[in-house]
Amino acid sequence: MYSINPEHAVGVVGGLLALFIALVALRFHPGWRLVPGTVRAASVLMAVSGGVHLALIPHHLASEPLTSLLFLLNGVAFIALAVMFTWRWWRIAAAALLITTVLAYLVYVAIGFEGPDQVGLATKLVEVTALGLALVPVRGEVGRTYRSWRWATLGVAMPLLIVITGATVWIVDLARPDARHVHAGALLQSTNTFPTPQQVDAANRLYAETKAAIQPYTDWHAAYSAGYRPGGSSTLPSTHWMNQRYVDAGYVMDPHRPQGLVYANTHHGPVLLGAMFQMKGLNQFGPDPGGPLTAWHQHENICFTPFGFEFSLMTPFATCPIGAIDISASPMLHVWVVDNPRGGPFAVDIDPSVVTAVDRT
Amino acid sequence: MTTTQTSRPEAVFVLLLLQSIFWMVAGLSALPFALGGEIHMIGLGVVSLLLALLVCLVGFGVLWRRRWARRTALSLEILCVVGSVLVLLLPIGANRGPVALLVNVALPVAVIWLLWGKRTRALFSRTMN
Repeated sequence: MYSINPEHAVGVVGGLLALFIALVALRFHPGWRLVPGTVRAASVLMAVSGGVHLALIPHHLASEPLTSLLFLLNGVAFIALAVMFTWRWWRIAAAALLITTVLAYLVYVAIGFEGPDQVGLATKLVEVTALGLALVPVRGEVGRTYRSWRWATLGVAMPLLIVITGATVWIVDLARPDARHVHAGALLQSTNTFPTPQQVDAANRLYAETKAAIQPYTDWHAAYSAGYRPGGSSTLPSTHWMNQRYVDAGYVMDPHRPQGLVYANTHHGPVLLGAMFQMKGLNQFGPDPGGPLTAWHQHENICFTPFGFEFSLMTPFATCPIGAIDISASPMLHVWVVDNPRGGPFAVDIDPSVVTAVDRT
Repeated sequence: MTTTQTSRPEAVFVLLLLQSIFWMVAGLSALPFALGGEIHMIGLGVVSLLLALLVCLVGFGVLWRRRWARRTALSLEILCVVGSVLVLLLPIGANRGPVALLVNVALPVAVIWLLWGKRTRALFSRTMN
């Protein structure tokens, strides 16, 4: 949901092209100066949506002919309505088409016919904006304006469509992530599918060396003396302790100098769960001796706040809570020295039940 | 459908309503993390929800041609654009996709453009009534 599906990139081109053509061509419409600016803006935005839909037809034609046909009907209807803004029933027709299109997209996403991506989301935002502009009553309108109905529809449809779109896209993205995108916006390093015997050996060696090297840090005082500092709240089940000196030095997967340690915040103090290697720069995945067993991951589109060093996830509308900013964390690899039955010793995350069990012991 | 008046305030109202909903969603999104133990997220979520409410009220003020609303909207959107451009330019890996550009840059810029200028300013009254 945070990236553009390469096959949909042509939709952005189609939308921008339609924007340019609409801004130039609609000025020559005889009724252009007779309608409010909100109607003109809605017409231009509907032309943009039409352009996006028409541009997506060639890609879907071979594999999804029905979708292509729907795109064609949608695109033509949008462009027709973009031109027919002086028609008596224009508002009703435009509102019906815009609402139907957004809901149809959500059905497609929910049943898995379409993956949520930036082109789809941006187009829905354009359509909801067009809906608001088409419906909003303007001062000084003459004739039958149906203001009450328009206000009611605007007040219900716009918030509802945005919230439903956000919820659907988010739920689908979290419930059905693609192979390289795991929870919490973590992007996995690309590797071979099955580990070779040499990769299994290398992963075992890395695990043994790291476990032995961080053994002294079982006592958190030793970690503190070595320069590790907790990087978040101790009210969370676990906390990453980072060594800024090792981060700045940029040691690459050195078992004796891991950039971070992970401690469970138990009732009897911090208990060592594992180590974390981190690369210095974004998108620079580290060496991967164990193939799929030791794939690095990079957290993308997380909302970070300096208040308590806490994180949340960026919304599908690219917003973070006030006081947090959207960042990505450079690639990292965890080595869990406690048994992590669900994901293994190099998993992106530790099983929460393991942390709970550590707390109980 | 014809009108003799400008519809800029109505267009701004629609955009501010959208922005208000986006911030409401952002505020709500912080709350599950607060339940997970990130206690500061409660504050951030509540502040975001309050800002969403403020933006909605400013939208109504603009719709009613109130001068305070125009000024507040302009200040808020200028702040948004500056903040968003900073986040986008800094090498912190912020998302630069079409949605981020539409919501965090194009929308505030559109509001500023619609409210800017002497002719638009003349539409807005001084009174609070």
